[in-house]
Amino acid sequence: MRRVARGSEAARSSSRGHVSERPDEGVVAIEHVSKLFPSTEGESTWALLDVSLSIRDGEFMCAIGPSGCGKTTLLNLIAGFIEPTRGELRFDKTPISGPAPERGVVFQEYALFPWLTAQRNVEFGLKMQGMAKAERRERANEALNLVGLADAARRYPFELSGGMRQRVAVARALVNHPRILLMDEPFAAVDALTRASLQTELLRIWEEIGITIFFITHNIEEAVYLGDRIVVMSPNPGQIQETVEVDIARPRNRSELEFGRLYAKVNGIFHRQGVSAS
Amino acid sequence: MTEMERDFRSAHAGGRDDLTPDLVQKIEERFRYDLQRSRHRRRVQRLMLNIAGVILFLILWEVAPRVVPGVNLQMFPPPSGVVGTLWDLIASGELAGHAWSSLKRAVAGFVLGSTAGILVGLLTGRLMMLRDLSDPVLHSLRSIPSIAFVPLAIVWFGLGETPKIALITWGTFFPVWVNTFIGVRDVPNIYVRSAASLGASPAGIMLQVVLPAALPFIIAGLRQATAVAFVILVAAELVGASSGLGYLISFSHLVFRVDMMFVGLMALGALGFLADTLFAASLDRIFPWYGAEAR
Repeated sequence: MRRVARGSEAARSSSRGHVSERPDEGVVAIEHVSKLFPSTEGESTWALLDVSLSIRDGEFMCAIGPSGCGKTTLLNLIAGFIEPTRGELRFDKTPISGPAPERGVVFQEYALFPWLTAQRNVEFGLKMQGMAKAERRERANEALNLVGLADAARRYPFELSGGMRQRVAVARALVNHPRILLMDEPFAAVDALTRASLQTELLRIWEEIGITIFFITHNIEEAVYLGDRIVVMSPNPGQIQETVEVDIARPRNRSELEFGRLYAKVNGIFHRQGVSAS
Repeated sequence: MTEMERDFRSAHAGGRDDLTPDLVQKIEERFRYDLQRSRHRRRVQRLMLNIAGVILFLILWEVAPRVVPGVNLQMFPPPSGVVGTLWDLIASGELAGHAWSSLKRAVAGFVLGSTAGILVGLLTGRLMMLRDLSDPVLHSLRSIPSIAFVPLAIVWFGLGETPKIALITWGTFFPVWVNTFIGVRDVPNIYVRSAASLGASPAGIMLQVVLPAALPFIIAGLRQATAVAFVILVAAELVGASSGLGYLISFSHLVFRVDMMFVGLMALGALGFLADTLFAASLDRIFPWYGAEAR
């Protein structure tokens, strides 16, 4: 069903002249996108200026940059929360026109609904789409199992640790079977040990279900550890400075020589910006 | 110290700790038992102190009019002077009758007013255009004390139930509306965005996300509204009614029975206390997550 629907969408948009045949286009295509935001006292700033990027199907892409480089704006554009001032974004060759379950989002501050148990948080999207109770219960259990939280299903978010909350948030996005997972500094608010185990777990899930991930971080080590590619962004106006291929075999080891080389490379790009990474 | 407790503590005495799994389990059991007992003790203690507080208040009230010079016991009757009247009114069923008709009015007005308040609050909180359109009018109306409408309500609706329920509806609407509005306006954007990305429709977002997210504010508004409902109830009953606690008080005034007035006041206090207690108790039951973030 989904395939058919998507196909007809693509057909419609191509009849409007949006899409020429681009067989090598990634799952997300960002073309010459700019976004103007109002700043203080009626001034305006370019959060993004002429940004082009293609996210390949199944890849783990990290975006890194100092604050104000527009990385969250980029994520919000892909998620469909905001519209670009100029340029075009396509998801699976179809112009992005708003948020949709096929593009799951995980926020830094968890954003779990505090009035729902973990299970009901995960079920929320399915319920909103009108799925029957038994079926969505099963799907939710499946997703909670995937993140290793089957035992916490009946607890409320306030009864969960930061790391557990973030895993519920991941399950809540995954239960919709999205094509891409958009993550905005998802592990920034947890302690270092929890962060390391969440990273490992995310990689396991990524490999297990073969999803595409767009992952924002301000941590170079995290980006080198997780990403297939790293987009390094610079501020004022927000632009992509360089895209770094991380050609280290998985599973990766932080103490490897190659790891250090890539860390140094990304760090070097930051220093050329004149801004040191935090 | 019992032998068991010495057993539990012996590790402190120095040397190697012989903490066997069996002992660990015993300590845990003992710990849980103690915890339960201390919680129970705390509950009993609170109840005792609550009761002691009431008794202390009654004693003060009994003594004060007698020791303060120049107080007429007819004008300021002590509990011993009121208890007889209280009993008479309870026995004759009069008090229950008055309380019941008051309660009916308060509940009817409260339900109507707060339902309208929540609905209007949701709409004005979410829709910028409606907010701008209604802001000046609603805020002007809100700043008129509801009691000022009592004469108007009597002119419009006469002396029956309608003016009283209408007044309480009017008065409870505003606190519920304002609180709902603030709660809805300040719902974290991240909740709304999450819901949208999970596939929720605008109506779904409103009912399943905005409404529960604003609930702590709405509840604060409802609680405020219960207090307002009592104020307006009594004001309305004082001027034009043939039943109700407010009527009882104003009637006692006409026949110069201060003791009966006191009974009416006490009944109002008890009703208000009951309403608030019920409110707090049902909160924990219905919304276990409510206030948990702050805990």
